[in-house]
Amino acid sequence: MLEVHGLEVAYGQAGALWNLTLHAGSGELLCIVGPNGAGKTTLVNTIAGLLKPKAGRLVMDGHDITRWAPHRYCEAGIALVPEGRRLFTGMTVRENLDIGSYLPVARGLRRETMAEVLELFPALEAKLQSPAGELSGGQQQMVAIGRALMARPRLLLLDEPSLGLSPLVTQGMFDAIRKISARGITIVLVEQNVAMAMRAAHRAYVLELGRIVAEGLPDDLMARPEIRKAYLGI
Amino acid sequence: MKMRAAPLAIVGAGLALCALPYLRLPAFYESFLYLALYWVVLATSWNLLSGYAGYFSFGHGAFFGAGVYTSATLATRYEWPFLWTLPVAAAVSAAIGVGVGAVAFRVRGVRGELFALLTLAVTFVLATIVGNTPIDGGPGVYLNAVPVPKLGPSATSSLYLMMLAAAVATLLISWTVRNSRFGAGLFAIHDDEDAAEVMGVPTFRWKLGALALSSALAGWAGGIHALFVSYVTTAETFNLTVPLTVVLMSILGGTRHWAGPAVGAVAITCLLFAFTGSSQAVLGKGAIGLILVAGVLFMPDGALSKLLRRPRAQTPVEPPDAVEAPTASVIAPIEEAPRGARAKASTQPVLAVRGLDKSFRGLKALSNVSLDVREGEILGLLGPNGSGKSTFINVVSGHFAADGGEVRLDGRDISGLPAHRIARAGIARTYQIPRPFAQMSVLDNVALAAMYAGRGIAHVDAGRAEARQWLEFAHLEGKADALPGELNLHQRKFLELARALASRPRLVLLDEVLCGLTPSEIHAAVALIRRIRDQGTTIVFVEHVMEAVMALTDRIVVFNQGLVLAEGLPADVMNQPDVRDAYLGVAHA
Amino acid sequence: MSFPSWTLLAQSVLSGVFVGGLYGLLGLGLGLSWGLLRTINLAHFAFAFLSAYLCYQLTVSAHMDPLLTLALVVPLMFLLGAGLHGLSDRFRLTPFSSLLLTFGVMGIAESLMQWFWTADPRKLESSYGDMKLRLGPLYLPIPELLTLACAVAVAFAAWVVLRHTDLGKALRASAEDAPVAAAFGINQRRNSFILAGTCASLAGLAGVCIALSGSISPSQMYGWVGVVFAAVMLGGLGSAFGPLVAGMVIGVSEAVTMAVTAPSWAPLVSFTLLIVILLLRPGRVG
Repeated sequence: MLEVHGLEVAYGQAGALWNLTLHAGSGELLCIVGPNGAGKTTLVNTIAGLLKPKAGRLVMDGHDITRWAPHRYCEAGIALVPEGRRLFTGMTVRENLDIGSYLPVARGLRRETMAEVLELFPALEAKLQSPAGELSGGQQQMVAIGRALMARPRLLLLDEPSLGLSPLVTQGMFDAIRKISARGITIVLVEQNVAMAMRAAHRAYVLELGRIVAEGLPDDLMARPEIRKAYLGI
Repeated sequence: MKMRAAPLAIVGAGLALCALPYLRLPAFYESFLYLALYWVVLATSWNLLSGYAGYFSFGHGAFFGAGVYTSATLATRYEWPFLWTLPVAAAVSAAIGVGVGAVAFRVRGVRGELFALLTLAVTFVLATIVGNTPIDGGPGVYLNAVPVPKLGPSATSSLYLMMLAAAVATLLISWTVRNSRFGAGLFAIHDDEDAAEVMGVPTFRWKLGALALSSALAGWAGGIHALFVSYVTTAETFNLTVPLTVVLMSILGGTRHWAGPAVGAVAITCLLFAFTGSSQAVLGKGAIGLILVAGVLFMPDGALSKLLRRPRAQTPVEPPDAVEAPTASVIAPIEEAPRGARAKASTQPVLAVRGLDKSFRGLKALSNVSLDVREGEILGLLGPNGSGKSTFINVVSGHFAADGGEVRLDGRDISGLPAHRIARAGIARTYQIPRPFAQMSVLDNVALAAMYAGRGIAHVDAGRAEARQWLEFAHLEGKADALPGELNLHQRKFLELARALASRPRLVLLDEVLCGLTPSEIHAAVALIRRIRDQGTTIVFVEHVMEAVMALTDRIVVFNQGLVLAEGLPADVMNQPDVRDAYLGVAHA
Repeated sequence: MSFPSWTLLAQSVLSGVFVGGLYGLLGLGLGLSWGLLRTINLAHFAFAFLSAYLCYQLTVSAHMDPLLTLALVVPLMFLLGAGLHGLSDRFRLTPFSSLLLTFGVMGIAESLMQWFWTADPRKLESSYGDMKLRLGPLYLPIPELLTLACAVAVAFAAWVVLRHTDLGKALRASAEDAPVAAAFGINQRRNSFILAGTCASLAGLAGVCIALSGSISPSQMYGWVGVVFAAVMLGGLGSAFGPLVAGMVIGVSEAVTMAVTAPSWAPLVSFTLLIVILLLRPGRVG
């Protein structure tokens, strides 16, 4: 479904990707782990269209979307849950969800999708009219994921969803992510919390200093030294 | 030397122009030159704050008007000899300027467009007050009865000579400021006020000083002009022509050059004269507006800078070092230097932090953090994303104020001090994403730090000399005259390092210096950091590149969720189970 | 300084409400472009006054009903507003450069107006001009009443669009976080042209109302700047009803000041308010 070939990105001169190639198959839950500064967010933002690569190609369902305008990436079926949530804090929860379904196709199915999102995150029902900025971290993460789901994406990009969340809330988040994956949506999950990520993923890549240093099944990767070296230096 | 020629040229031109009244030319010439000089004073004085420091004011009319009415009132109502009214006019305008600045500059959010609006509002407030009180009261003030000081063969000549003196003085002041330490500070404020403050520039006082100078000169010109027009009204004095025109003249001529506004002033005056007296007079203001529009669109830096720019050999930004084939270990192992021997056994730590707290909107970023930094060591600060490392650096360097706790540098309490005082005390920092002053050369960037932080060098030339040494240390001497935008990321990081070192600080705080660099660039950076420590500088080093951390640091402190989790020798700490869990996360059932 | 009679005071308050309505009408477009496009568009006042003069001219030469001139003025202003925004977009101007640009446009506009219509005040003679309603001892002039009605209607319409349409939500989202909004398909570039044109049309509407309400001269344009900015900042950027309510507060305080002291003190109210707001709550603004 998603192919990334030879991607080179320089992002605000503080983080870069070098000759990066990876792929995600339809329905996979793909995980990308790596220490801070490895370039995980840069990678996700590039796939979502927020950043333009200097070289390389992005292919979604056979279409080369590398040079597309940023606002067209959603049309290609990609939805983003940004690092740090980046909700529209001045708007209500419902309005945030509405923005998720801005594109015409999603707009027509707004009511149905909203029901699905509320089924996944029942706690949001009571908060629909609240300004998004007033919610707790965990609730905001739910809204951010919900907003992306409202776009009825084929590819969901999740950037460090567990950031700043307590272990219990993180657990709930990963349960929801597993449910979303079970519905057939392809997920690319970027995480710093290696342990949680590896338990959920079908397949994983390890990123370090802007390059992929390992790839494979979660259990295999955990047994190899690359992850420990990258994170702990030992 | 080219620099000293300017003031001589100004004085020389001034003396030459003194002769004009005696040449018995038609009165038209004196009037024209008077007006040109009048605009030179107004535009150049405006530029001192607005061009150099970047605080665009739309209120120059207020200071000008204050001068007009001070002189008018003193000369008519109190029958002062006219020349004595001028210093008072300048003083009153300066007082108003300082008053406005003292309030406006304290409010952090009032910058850019808001400052422009504020000053515009001040103009109208002043106009209303003047128009409704006995100062003017409505009918205006007549100065026909005021005797013009006999400085020249006619009244017009005398006024012309007065304005000429003001213009010469203003240009000299503009040149002096431009080439002084004060001016360097103003230019730093222009590019990045917060970074300037952290680098030791006392931004509040500097802005106030520039505003005081600017308004005093405008007031002086206003006083003279009152006598020139001999009938002043609030409508004519306080309308938007003055602010609009000075902005235009300065932008057109170039706000970064000491003579830019003057060039713009002369050019526009010529243009306006071309329109006066013809039926096209009405189009004058339209022409000004059109020129401003064209200037903003096509010459955002001003005409003078366009003309003076030496065609830089267009050095394209150098790409980072060649991409290397991925190896099993991403970086070749960095040799470890013998430790321990270097960390001097000193009784007092360079930095002692106790119980530091900091919250942002309810979220606790730092929680009761205590640690010591020993003389001559490299201390690593580690921790997952959001653990508080950068906040720690920001608080210690004064970028943020702590909510609680204390920070002592060599035993001296520096908690709560404004950032520029902390810089003077001897703490320097780099930014994770480099923040050089974009419109100053690489050399001047470093010279600024040398002049303001640490002991602070008083003269620009000495500052530049010191800066050159540090550029050599950082292998950037070839780029001394380049602008930061022409450097690649690696060079910009080295510039940050050179800036941090130029003030010979007690303590250097490095915030993710290696982030974004290629492996070979990381090698070079690590070598440089070693040399920094070898000269005796104490370093605190926030980093994620683990191999570098292991090789460089003497001790590490691990943060997690705002708390200090562990402290000790690198290998010991990273093997601790709780540290491992913090980094790799814990899997739940 | 004698205290005026109750009737006079009430009439003053009423005229303050009316002029406040006009402040709000002028302020709506300014506030929307400042809040949602992050540009301080001084040309807004130029658009308003150009429209006022166009309305005047069409009434005089073509004998049009002033209200009918809206059919020409509103679309024309839309194009002008979108065009000016295009310049800003094409040259990638910073918010501050936009401020300077529009400052220049104001100067050009004043010159043009003075060229075509001279500096003498022009009064629009229309059937509406002399009509008034009586409410007890108080007079409600029809032009002012129409202006107030327009101001309220337009504010309401803006509120509906911002709160209940996807376009409105898209504009608010883009103003807050443009890259993320784009990630959900919002084409901010296209939307911003629509908004810029609409704000200019609002200025056009305000201009026609100004023409209806009294005499106009080119230099008057600057007199509105301070008071409308005060209304916008007090009422909140990007707000639909904010400038209207704030405008009326300012209008009434001005009117009462004028009744109690002298008309020439009136500008002090709005400009002092402006300064106070800037100093106390700059974060709420811009």
